[in-house]
Amino acid sequence: MPRDSEAPLPAGEASLPASEVSLRAGGTQLRAGETPFWAGRLPRLGILLAVVAVVLSFPSMAPSPYEITVGIAILNYAVLSTSWNFVGGFTGYISLGHGGFAGLGAYGTGLLVTKTELPPFAALFTAAVLVAAVAVPVGYAALRVRGASFVIVSIALVLILLLVFQSWSSFTGGSRGLVVPRPFPGMLRAEHHRTFYFLFAALLAAALLVWWIIDRSRFGMGLKAIREDEDKAQSLGTPTYTYKLVVFVVSAAFTSLAGGLYALWFGDLDPVFQFSILSGAYMVLMALLGGVRHLYGPVLGAVIVGYALEYSKVEFGDTPLHLVVAGLLLGVVVMFMPDGVIPAATALLDRFRKTGETSIREVTAAELRERRGQRNGTEEVRDSERSGSGSGTGTGSQT
Amino acid sequence: MPSASLVFQSVVLGVLLGGLYALLAAGLTLYFGVMRVVMIAHSAFLILAAYLAWYAHRETGVDPLLTLFVTVPLFFAAGVAMQRLLLTRLRPATLTMMSVLLTFSVALVIEGLLGYVFSGTQRRIRLDYSSAGFEFLGARIAAVKLIAFGMAALALLGLYALMKHSRFGQALRATIQHREAAQLLGIDTDRVAGYGFGLGLATAAVGGTALALDTTIYPSLHWHWIGPLMAIIVVGGLGSVPGAAIAAMTLGMLQSLLQLELSTTWAQTVFYVALFATLAFRPQGFFGGRLAQRF
Repeated sequence: MPRDSEAPLPAGEASLPASEVSLRAGGTQLRAGETPFWAGRLPRLGILLAVVAVVLSFPSMAPSPYEITVGIAILNYAVLSTSWNFVGGFTGYISLGHGGFAGLGAYGTGLLVTKTELPPFAALFTAAVLVAAVAVPVGYAALRVRGASFVIVSIALVLILLLVFQSWSSFTGGSRGLVVPRPFPGMLRAEHHRTFYFLFAALLAAALLVWWIIDRSRFGMGLKAIREDEDKAQSLGTPTYTYKLVVFVVSAAFTSLAGGLYALWFGDLDPVFQFSILSGAYMVLMALLGGVRHLYGPVLGAVIVGYALEYSKVEFGDTPLHLVVAGLLLGVVVMFMPDGVIPAATALLDRFRKTGETSIREVTAAELRERRGQRNGTEEVRDSERSGSGSGTGTGSQT
Repeated sequence: MPSASLVFQSVVLGVLLGGLYALLAAGLTLYFGVMRVVMIAHSAFLILAAYLAWYAHRETGVDPLLTLFVTVPLFFAAGVAMQRLLLTRLRPATLTMMSVLLTFSVALVIEGLLGYVFSGTQRRIRLDYSSAGFEFLGARIAAVKLIAFGMAALALLGLYALMKHSRFGQALRATIQHREAAQLLGIDTDRVAGYGFGLGLATAAVGGTALALDTTIYPSLHWHWIGPLMAIIVVGGLGSVPGAAIAAMTLGMLQSLLQLELSTTWAQTVFYVALFATLAFRPQGFFGGRLAQRF
């Protein structure tokens, strides 16, 4: 616990008056009727529209089809890490095994197309439903335990799937791989890439939209309560187990859609790449780097990491050094900015603008605990004693 | 139905393999005990030790067993350094999750560096006693497998004696059981936890040298070890050394017996089946105590 007290000092004393001031200021502004309530959102909306415009016009600006494939790879990473963030961001359960769901989606789509001759996009969604069905028993076992065991199960999932898909070669093609026929046979290569670029962009938009909706819902509140303190959430009546399972299945379905779309685009599957722990690790790295608490965090992380991966593939070829780079990057993110670049950047901005405090903030349980410990006054002391003993059992259950 | 002698042979091989699993799982249990950390990089260090033994043998021709005198202290120091410099700097609130990611990244770095320095080629030590072996009640046992088992058993016994009968062992067990109480008794728990971590990594050095004796090694081999080892510690109950040892022996023997009927890869799935079954029906593991409840 000594490290706990060394953490950055809370701004509790300073923030309370500041928030009151801003609240009062907001009140007067509203009464004066000068600025409508959505005024604060305008710049944000503008940025969003600009980003969407850039994303949508990228294929027509790209000098060659190669740039479009890089764009597709980055969009694919963005969908994957956003899908991962349904579990990792809301509940704080870190899964290293989501690569397995992507692989299942890819193989499910490919096998449905080749064996049952379903139309490609029907196969894509059928595979997602099947993967969601698989995710139910997996989640049932994995979510009964917390923390460390959950990660172990997620790793085991990928390893077991790799074993199965490599050994069962009569069905999956084994190490020879599986060739998935193209969904648009008459299309030229460049046009094929362009189409899939927009398909991936649409899937990303859908994933972001669902994440945004959950984020503002009661369901999302419950999930975030699980992240902060699962025992307390449970004691307040949140059906934690059901919530975790539902969001796990949603996450698996989106991951599977991304994998399946990749299969239709790329057309060639190999179990070693589809069921690799590394792809799951990339999802974690991207989401953590961008910031798991933010809607666009995983997307930002995917742009940074995805671009770096493609760049290093061109510069250094296929040496094992990309493992070293990924490992070092993950280590640095975990050690120095576990909240990601978005909070780090906004903290930096706020330091210049000094207007960061609003009346309603999202604070972590740890910050709250520290802040309470800092307060004084008779009532607060009793309060902090109570929360002190409460936090004692809280950390006891976490450590 | 395979013949009785074949079954007996498998049982013997299973016991020999289980010994190595038990030693490595004991190391994982130690980390978990002192820090509540699941050390994904354990098997990466295992392969690193195997590579060091192979490299020393190729360059100088020394017996791989002699590399133990270098790798064990080296790994002990690396373990202490890792605990003091990396893991204690993580936030306590998210330690369990973040430490998994941190050790995972260490594993990636080790795998990448091994692949870069020694290339991805499969390596194997050729010793003059590699093919030696003897008959035991109709089962043929390779000498190297027996040596590997002997090393694992000796290391486990040494660890047991250290934990039970030395002052340091008492301090370590006190730290594992109740950190605050151990502090009140004047134990420097931070230092003891660091040494505990070092001891855990030293088991990887012993295990890796034993592994190098009779196995073909390559950089990504550690993924084939970490899965079974993780399954063992969950089935045994996180934090329980005897539980890990029993689970290691049982699952090692099951794997060896299943290889009679199935291919090697399918036989390996026994670990994952056991893992999922344990979590579905008895999430705290079969031999875990109070500690395992919350993980």
